[in-house]
Amino acid sequence: MVGASGPVTRMRAPHDGGHRQSPWPFLMSEPAPLTLKSSTFRQQREANWQALETLVARADRRGVTALSAEDLARLPLLYRAALSSLSVARAIALDRHLLLYLEDLALRAFFVVYAPRRSWLASCGHFLRVGFPAAAKAARWHILAALVCVLAGTAAGFVLASHDEAWVTALIPAGMAAGRGPGSTRQDLLQHEIFAPWPGWSDSFGVFATFLFEHNTMVGIYCLSLGIAGGLPTAALMLYQGLIFGAFLALHADRGLLIDCLGWVSIHGVTEFGAIIICGAGGFLMGEKLLAPGRYTRADSLAMHGETISRLAVGGMLLFLLAACLEGGLRQLVASTPWRFVIGFGTGAAWITYLAAPRRSLAR
Amino acid sequence: MALFRRTLPASAPADQPLSVHDRTAAFLMPVRRRRLDIVTPEGVQLHVELGDFGERAAAFLIDVVLIIVINIVLIAAAVLVAGVSLRARLAISLTILIGFLVRSLYFVRFELAWRGVTPGKRLIGLRVIDRRGGPLLPSAVITRNVTREVETFLPLLALLGARASGTWGAIGLFLWLLLLAGVPLVTRNRTRVGDLLAGTVVITVPRRVLSADLIEIRSEYSFTDRQLRAYGAFELQILEEVLRRPASAETSSLYTDVCGRICSRIEWPEPVPPHACGQFLRAFYMAQRAHLEREQLFGRAKESKEELIL
Repeated sequence: MVGASGPVTRMRAPHDGGHRQSPWPFLMSEPAPLTLKSSTFRQQREANWQALETLVARADRRGVTALSAEDLARLPLLYRAALSSLSVARAIALDRHLLLYLEDLALRAFFVVYAPRRSWLASCGHFLRVGFPAAAKAARWHILAALVCVLAGTAAGFVLASHDEAWVTALIPAGMAAGRGPGSTRQDLLQHEIFAPWPGWSDSFGVFATFLFEHNTMVGIYCLSLGIAGGLPTAALMLYQGLIFGAFLALHADRGLLIDCLGWVSIHGVTEFGAIIICGAGGFLMGEKLLAPGRYTRADSLAMHGETISRLAVGGMLLFLLAACLEGGLRQLVASTPWRFVIGFGTGAAWITYLAAPRRSLAR
Repeated sequence: MALFRRTLPASAPADQPLSVHDRTAAFLMPVRRRRLDIVTPEGVQLHVELGDFGERAAAFLIDVVLIIVINIVLIAAAVLVAGVSLRARLAISLTILIGFLVRSLYFVRFELAWRGVTPGKRLIGLRVIDRRGGPLLPSAVITRNVTREVETFLPLLALLGARASGTWGAIGLFLWLLLLAGVPLVTRNRTRVGDLLAGTVVITVPRRVLSADLIEIRSEYSFTDRQLRAYGAFELQILEEVLRRPASAETSSLYTDVCGRICSRIEWPEPVPPHACGQFLRAFYMAQRAHLEREQLFGRAKESKEELIL
């Protein structure tokens, strides 16, 4: 630590030298020149402070990579020297501007020295390899709760709509039903929905792009963010999603299309429901940490689990994106129910393996 | 489970006496920013000042304007590449996609690459940091910006695009926006919901330059110890502030005023002419600082003129 200890040991040198030059100061006619310890302190360190300031300004403007190897090696030494100057100045300085300057300099240098070291691409890779699976494992009970909500909703919707088809119109919003309802015949459903012809690339892309404002994505985002209201609205939303799906299934089951419909949905639905469940789990986790913060304050408790919640959110968005690709690309292209099931179950198995498989990197 | 529990504020408790520097700051600027203390790994406490609501709103608006400009450029480029044959539905999809990608990548990209700063924040002088002074992790940046999407952009776009279901939906969205925009006004560290989740705060980073030392080698006046005992560190710092004012007619009259007060308090024998007031104050500042420093070395720090040291 040459940089930090150097100035401190040199601190008294000029002061002593000044006395040695005039052996009898009391014999001189004019008053002795004024030497303040604080002035000397400043004069000896000023060059280091200015050097640090230049480095920090350059790093702020063009990034740490703009610094040369030599400057990078000097930066932490200068930073620690500035911190030590700050500590000394806090104890002795009566010069307010000097202290303010040092506080400011130390803070700015602190942000440069303790900047995150992982690059943007590396953090994406880390998220996929470690972050998302770790978050899913940490929130496994919340994921289970969300799954139970959706399944309960589906069962209820199925039972309700099998008894009375009026529930189908009541439960499914008009925009989502797109003309499907109690009036649809078996033939309608088969030709215009389940085995509708492939619309071509540009319409598929349209589906892909509008996924961002598609109903399900919004539901996912609201499931997550309504966790801030304690998790109960999240549970209600998940139940409602299940109800819609259940009513929809009942409509098809009534026309003997249950298996075909399940195949048609499974191709992207497995991924999409997975995404909704993961978003819902994030909402539940947020609600739990807010309602029962344990030994911590609510803000601390939230911040401690913020990483897991954000990983679930980003992971959920990723799943939605993939679901949109499957929906736009594969759903109408694969026109056979067995193959649809293969893809549906395949994606499901792939997600479960990806998220739940034991990993060495997690154990560390 | 304690649902409603009072917690002690993280800032300094009220009964702790103010330091001289704090007292000077409070005297010079009665309206103070909220402060937060972080401790560096070296064990030094650093004070950060939190950005206030207006500054953050201004930075956000600048960023939004930039995002809109980038969007327009990209969409124009896409239309030029694809030609006029682009169908309406596809064009709308493309616009939505570009809009989403630009606004979500803009904040994340800049806050990661510039370490907590976006162009708007840089112009205003703000920075996002970890609440406890740790490194600003990518996950925290992503959290606070994913939440921004829910907090502001989606409801705003829905409101503008009239996607809301009827008047009640629009009113609901508007209330949601208003409510979440007001959150930074009431939270302790002036955080919005995204900051709360990510464990971050937004601070101001003022750029102070090192101003010249007021100490010169020689002085034309000399003061006795008795005269220098009249004041303490607080008054010295206020005098420093007076001396650092830029030269103007107002400053000169302030000099005369301050000079008169000091002369009467320390019983200075001869009156100081108005043009020499600045010089006299400078000399007094130097002598006073030298005196206080010397006394401090002997363990007799004097904070203000009211304090008696025997």
